[in-house]
Amino acid sequence: MQRKILFFLSILFFTLSFVFSLVLIAQSKVEGESGFVGSEACKDCHEGQYNKFVKSVHGKKAVPGNPANRDGCESCHGPGAQHVEKGGGRGVAIFVFSKKESSTARDAKCLGCHQDMRGVVNWNISKHKSFLVTCDNCHSIHSPVPGKSYLWAQEPDLCFGCHRNIRAQFNKQSHHPIKEEFVGRQALKCSSCHNPMGTFDIKTMIKADSVNDLCYRCHAEKRGPYAFEHPPVPENCLYCHEVHGSNHSRLLTRKVPLLCESCHNTGGHPSRPYTNLHSFLGPATSNKNRFFARGCLNCHGNIHGSSLAPTFQR
Amino acid sequence: MSELPWKYSWKQPCPDLSAIGGETMKAKMILVTLMICLMPLSYAFPQDNKTIEGEIGFTGVWFDLHAKEGGKAKFTEYRDLREDGAVFGRARLNLDTDKYFLNFDLGDFAYDTQYYTVDGGMWGKFKFGLFYDEIPHNITFDARTPFLGAGHDLLVGAPNPNFPLWNTFDYSILRRQYGGGFKVDVIRPFFLDFSFERENRDGIKPTGAAETSPGGRAFELPEPVEYVTNNLKVSAGYSKKPLFLSLNYIHSDFNNSNTSLGLPPNFNAPNAFSLPPDNTYDKGAFKGAVSLPFNSRFSTNVGFARGRSETSVVSLIGSGYTGKVDNVNYDFMLTSNPVRFLDIKAYYKYYKRFNKSDDPTGIADIFLNYNISTYGGELGFRLPAQFYLSGGYKYVKTERTKKGEDDAAEILPFNMDNILFVDLKWSGLDFLEARVGYENLDRDAHYRTLQSAQNLSKRFSYAAQNKNTVKAAVDLFPLENLNFGLEYRYKKIGYSDTLFGLRNTLFGLRSDKRHELDISADYRIGKIAKVYGYGDYGWIKFNQMQSAGGLPWEGEQWDKTWGYGIGAEFYVIPKKLTLIFQHDYVKSNGTVDFTLLNGLFGAGGLPAFPAANQDNIDITRWDDYTLYSFSLRAVYNFTKSLTAMVGYAYERFWYSDAQLNNYLFAPAGGTNAAFLTGAYKDQSYRANLVFGGVSFKF
Repeated sequence: MQRKILFFLSILFFTLSFVFSLVLIAQSKVEGESGFVGSEACKDCHEGQYNKFVKSVHGKKAVPGNPANRDGCESCHGPGAQHVEKGGGRGVAIFVFSKKESSTARDAKCLGCHQDMRGVVNWNISKHKSFLVTCDNCHSIHSPVPGKSYLWAQEPDLCFGCHRNIRAQFNKQSHHPIKEEFVGRQALKCSSCHNPMGTFDIKTMIKADSVNDLCYRCHAEKRGPYAFEHPPVPENCLYCHEVHGSNHSRLLTRKVPLLCESCHNTGGHPSRPYTNLHSFLGPATSNKNRFFARGCLNCHGNIHGSSLAPTFQR
Repeated sequence: MSELPWKYSWKQPCPDLSAIGGETMKAKMILVTLMICLMPLSYAFPQDNKTIEGEIGFTGVWFDLHAKEGGKAKFTEYRDLREDGAVFGRARLNLDTDKYFLNFDLGDFAYDTQYYTVDGGMWGKFKFGLFYDEIPHNITFDARTPFLGAGHDLLVGAPNPNFPLWNTFDYSILRRQYGGGFKVDVIRPFFLDFSFERENRDGIKPTGAAETSPGGRAFELPEPVEYVTNNLKVSAGYSKKPLFLSLNYIHSDFNNSNTSLGLPPNFNAPNAFSLPPDNTYDKGAFKGAVSLPFNSRFSTNVGFARGRSETSVVSLIGSGYTGKVDNVNYDFMLTSNPVRFLDIKAYYKYYKRFNKSDDPTGIADIFLNYNISTYGGELGFRLPAQFYLSGGYKYVKTERTKKGEDDAAEILPFNMDNILFVDLKWSGLDFLEARVGYENLDRDAHYRTLQSAQNLSKRFSYAAQNKNTVKAAVDLFPLENLNFGLEYRYKKIGYSDTLFGLRNTLFGLRSDKRHELDISADYRIGKIAKVYGYGDYGWIKFNQMQSAGGLPWEGEQWDKTWGYGIGAEFYVIPKKLTLIFQHDYVKSNGTVDFTLLNGLFGAGGLPAFPAANQDNIDITRWDDYTLYSFSLRAVYNFTKSLTAMVGYAYERFWYSDAQLNNYLFAPAGGTNAAFLTGAYKDQSYRANLVFGGVSFKF
């Protein structure tokens, strides 16, 4: 008897579930079909946003799959009938890109169309995604700064909004030219080296398989291979260079000769203490020319590699 | 043509530069001609919904600079302001229809920061782009050398200490880049991307050589830079969910017009200084991704690259060296979001550098190979109350070998890194977001010979270490128009190699400790003003120990850097008159505290105690500097189209350093002698700038 009751209840449960699902699907179809009001209705209240949308790449009918070819504003914001019925208001019965929506939901709106873009294909790997950064944190469809990427602000200011420590490094006296005034076009941008959409270098999102591969793109003369290699050089530029900015010239992590002495402690002059007394007017009597001016590099000029000398002096 | 005086100034005597200048000038002329030819095309565009807009403007800058040679270069480090004044022009034109677009952007005409770009295409079908741009890197002007031929591949003459009679030249490099490319989407879901660019780098940079090795006089030398690099990229593939496939090819070749820098006869053989050899780099890669069930995705990146170099200068020492290095890279990654609250990531990476260079005579036969294997995983949990907890583990194994290495004490170690990290983010309130994170790296160094394990000198890049990083950040948005952010980081690296269990017996870098605190805020006061500011503080301390002939010494370096910036925009007459104010300040104070042990005073050329003591050996000026800038601008919109701007700026850079203060071109004598050129000397400057300009939009 108990088994019959259980069987009956199971049948009832699955039947009800099935019917309920059908009702929901049917209802959503009815709502879906009747819920769209068209972009012209949006324009009545949001003329500014509408005009920007029409002028933007999203408004171009020539682009297959564009919102202009689908449901216009409602392609991203969802059906607006209820929003209109309720008299509008931010987020009232409509999808808006705000913190109230989950990061997954906001990204899904964009990736629904952009998932096939080759620049976005590694978004699933991106460190930004792991930290719940969403497309709309950086991109604005309605209020972008001039440019092709629809960003809220120009690089590097946009990036510095979150990466404050990197901003501090770029403010140091030795830095890559990323924020120089009176340079007409930015020589470098954060996105010259990093892909914020994700790369296989998960942590730093650099656009190369290794740090050195990236640096060699602009510094091809360091690529070699050299007959005489300085082992840290072909392995990682960052052993000696602070890439974003440093207090020390040539983006060095530490100042020569102490940087060199961090590794070289062999007999003879590499292990000497080069102190204030070795400066131009200091009273030290020997080894002075290893300290003043460019220190070790006064003699070892080819420190990145040499074709002639294992000591990098030629 | 206006760039000619500058271009000739960095070389003396004036050589024939027509080949260099001619080539880039040709590229520039082609680009400008192309732009002029393309402009009328805009009128051939279909008339429906055609938008033409653009801007033309000029900005004049007049300045009063107080600086010596180094300061003049530092002031213009990445800009072209060598005369007392300059007028920079800019023009922009954007043509847009429902089907086509065409954009021109050009500026800084005739200056070393000039740029010209054209891009256009058919929406959704294809895009093309062409560009030309320049940027200088000025290091030191009016540097000196006792030799003739700065900027060329042969230095002649005998050094003499009478430096006022030396020849002058500029340490400066100009980069000129030009190229173009296209992206084809019309065959979607297939795609094709192509780009080519060429870079010319010309100028002089500082280098150095010793007359004899080891020891001998030091010579700072002007190294000629005449580089041409060509880069070609082709990428083709298929992209439609669930599949992404692409094949990529990169070719890069680097050509140096000078293979060596000939040195005067009194230098020991080889009587030349080698310059970067010509090299080529070819890389092929496959990238792919496929979507899997349970909201998962598998991605891969497999690449093979080969670099070659030609070093004809090696013939000077009778070697038949040919450079060849292969790089292999594999990346495999699986990401999954099987349920709403869980993110999973697992990955494996293998990177190999294999130096296949050939040196039949064995002179240069020490080549570095390394393999890096990495695997790891991350988990992210969406927890109740808007918490997001993520963490992971990563293992990295680095294996290094040097072909031809026969010094057992210098055999490079293998490293095994175990990295653990955890981050917690909370966004439970509309007006607040907070993050904390921790990471630990535990590196083990496996020395493969007893001698290398026993070597007291541990190179920090390979030595065992334990690194702890703690970070915390808060972002506050208490009002819709107020944002405030604060971030703190602490990092400590302890180089923990020990010798036979005894700590503090190793030499080299022993610890690296850092604190960083950064804040930023911005506030918009209705339609009246916007104010913003930031502040940064950084504290870095390195500790290292060395042994000079068995006599140990310790050095502690500090870098303390702090800075702030404040800015405001006042909308004095809304949409008409705006005042913009900006002030930035950065100060760095570096010191090195030496402690000499066991009677080292008097050794190695140091004066004996008490002439040298624990106080006067310390370095108090260690790249100390202050950067100060202030600017005030007024922007007035006469109409929607016509805008004028006028402003004033003050910039000051003060620099002091123990290695460069009281600079002498020919200091000391005997084996301490040096013949220096003044590179990085006297970098301080102060400048008043007045600027103004007009722009017309249409």
